[in-house]
Amino acid sequence: MNRYVAKLPMLTGVSAGLLMFADPALATQTHGQPEGLYVHQMAHIFFLISMGSLDFWLRQRNLTEQRGWKYIQFSAVLFILWNIDAAAVHFLDEHLDILGITKIDLWHIKIENSQRHDSITILYYLMKLDHLLCVPAMFFLYFGLKTILKTTDNAAGDKAQS
Amino acid sequence: MIVSSIPILFIDLVGSFLMIVLSFLSLQLVFKLRKQDRDNLIWTYLWWICLALSCFAVSRSAGHILKDILLMGGQKRIWGIIRPYSGAINTTMFIVVGSVTLFFERIWIIYQLILKDRLALQSAHKELLFLNQNLEDLVEERTNALVASEHKYRKIFEVSKDMIMVAAKDGTIVNLNPSGYNLLGMNSEDDQIENRNVRDFLADAGSWPRIVASVESERSVENVELDLVTVDGTRRRILLGGSMADDVDNDEEIIHFLVKDIEKRKVMEEQLAQADKLASIGELSSGVAHEINNPLGVILGYTQLLLRGENSASERYSDLKTIEKHVRNCKAIVEDLLSFSRKSETDKQMLDIHQVIDAVLIFVQHHSHIEHITIEKDYNPTVHPLLIDEKKIKQVLINLVVNAIHAVGEKGYIQISTDLSEPTNELLVKVKDDGHGIEPKYLKKIFDPFFTTKSTGEGTGLGLSVSYGIIKNHGGHIYVESKPGAGTTFTVTLPTALTLPEN
Repeated sequence: MNRYVAKLPMLTGVSAGLLMFADPALATQTHGQPEGLYVHQMAHIFFLISMGSLDFWLRQRNLTEQRGWKYIQFSAVLFILWNIDAAAVHFLDEHLDILGITKIDLWHIKIENSQRHDSITILYYLMKLDHLLCVPAMFFLYFGLKTILKTTDNAAGDKAQS
Repeated sequence: MIVSSIPILFIDLVGSFLMIVLSFLSLQLVFKLRKQDRDNLIWTYLWWICLALSCFAVSRSAGHILKDILLMGGQKRIWGIIRPYSGAINTTMFIVVGSVTLFFERIWIIYQLILKDRLALQSAHKELLFLNQNLEDLVEERTNALVASEHKYRKIFEVSKDMIMVAAKDGTIVNLNPSGYNLLGMNSEDDQIENRNVRDFLADAGSWPRIVASVESERSVENVELDLVTVDGTRRRILLGGSMADDVDNDEEIIHFLVKDIEKRKVMEEQLAQADKLASIGELSSGVAHEINNPLGVILGYTQLLLRGENSASERYSDLKTIEKHVRNCKAIVEDLLSFSRKSETDKQMLDIHQVIDAVLIFVQHHSHIEHITIEKDYNPTVHPLLIDEKKIKQVLINLVVNAIHAVGEKGYIQISTDLSEPTNELLVKVKDDGHGIEPKYLKKIFDPFFTTKSTGEGTGLGLSVSYGIIKNHGGHIYVESKPGAGTTFTVTLPTALTLPEN
């Protein structure tokens, strides 16, 4: 034990020297701007897959035979479509240099298409209206839950009566 | 292409607003669902989904609204600061919603298991509650049912006409029903059968290991014919069936036996076989007698013709007389054979059987030395006159009484009784003696023609055969019961109907 204690000042000195003359190790990876976009796109794909699995299991368990769960299935399908739409818009916005969007004034935008295909421009414009998919998806979720609640209310009422 | 941004802005703003509203409305609905049943895992799952979707809706929609307002207000720089945070939160919410949604299948399986367990628990709880509330009644009900069942099976055990016996594999008798006691010649109230061994009652004790081996290998045994020896030494033939069972009191296996007394059936079968045999012999005897009778008549006729011309003092006369005597003996035997084969003519009249018996006894007393033999009469006064051939019935009774006298020797007891049998209302005439009895091996042959246990010259062996033929000719039966050393009883049954059957 005493032998180690005797060597302690020497070890401390060496360690202090190493720290004082150390170079950057570059051990930590830096995260640039595109990573956020990739994570966001991956999150869309993950959300899409999870909604797909929900749809699959709802069919598999024959829950879609009940009206409430059927609406929830519609909601899942619409969320899948919304994810495809949103991911596609992000892809066109950020990954491809096909389109250039410039704000002209408060109520107008200019969409420049390097390929000169109006169909892509129109598709992009329509896809920008993604709330037309996610709002109905939420709407179906709401109706599904409402129907389930109504069914359970009726069942509870029947049970109380019997 | 320059396009209007109004639809985009409008749908973005209204849609974002609706997303927030609908997500919170959904959350409220799930909240109600959860309130109904807090233990419902599916509602909890939906609660988490809606919560995640609400957060997603708020983060995304708030971001969009803020973006639109700031950009419309020319605050692009501020939006530039907020944008990364809004996007990051938005992305995180995607992942949360997706993650929660992915668990649907697992949650559903767990929920189904919980439901199943809950149902089982509820059912068990209900049953337990019911048992708790009705335990006394149930116990009473079960006890009554058990008592009724026990009573029912005890009744079957008690009233069974067959012997029911429970025995251990080593032969120790565990239980025996009253019929079993009767069959073994015991009294169920006085005698104790427990701890006695089955082997003690088997004529062949060696048959027990074979029965046990058979029961052990096949688990049951059926229709085994055995000879049983009762406590007084009488043999009875039985039909035994048994099966292995677990003893309720201990772990050992026991054997349940069902024993049928087939002695009477066997006796009847033997009697039928005997009757068939005697009928065959009768047919044969009849044929032989008819063939011999005619030549004998011729011989007797010519002998008597020759005798007329002979001096009675001559040697030739004496020889002819000897021939005549033996021919007459032969004719008597032929007559007996005809009687046995029921071919002789009968002369039936309505007679009082008691008078016939009295006449026979007087005749026998005059012709035999029976001073030390007690002859007792036991008549049933209700017996009416019946249609019989007096001469032939007397011949039967003489045969039986003389046989009885021979059986008892110089000193003994003979009883002649009459009675009416139930329910056939036949006349029963019994000649019982306490003589030496008949050995079992002779019993089957006793009615055979020419069968005799007497020395040569003492009897022809036709007496009982003739009696048998005569009684059969009257539509009756003749039986013998005998035990060596314990006497013999001959029983004659005669129909009391006024008109006899044609045969």
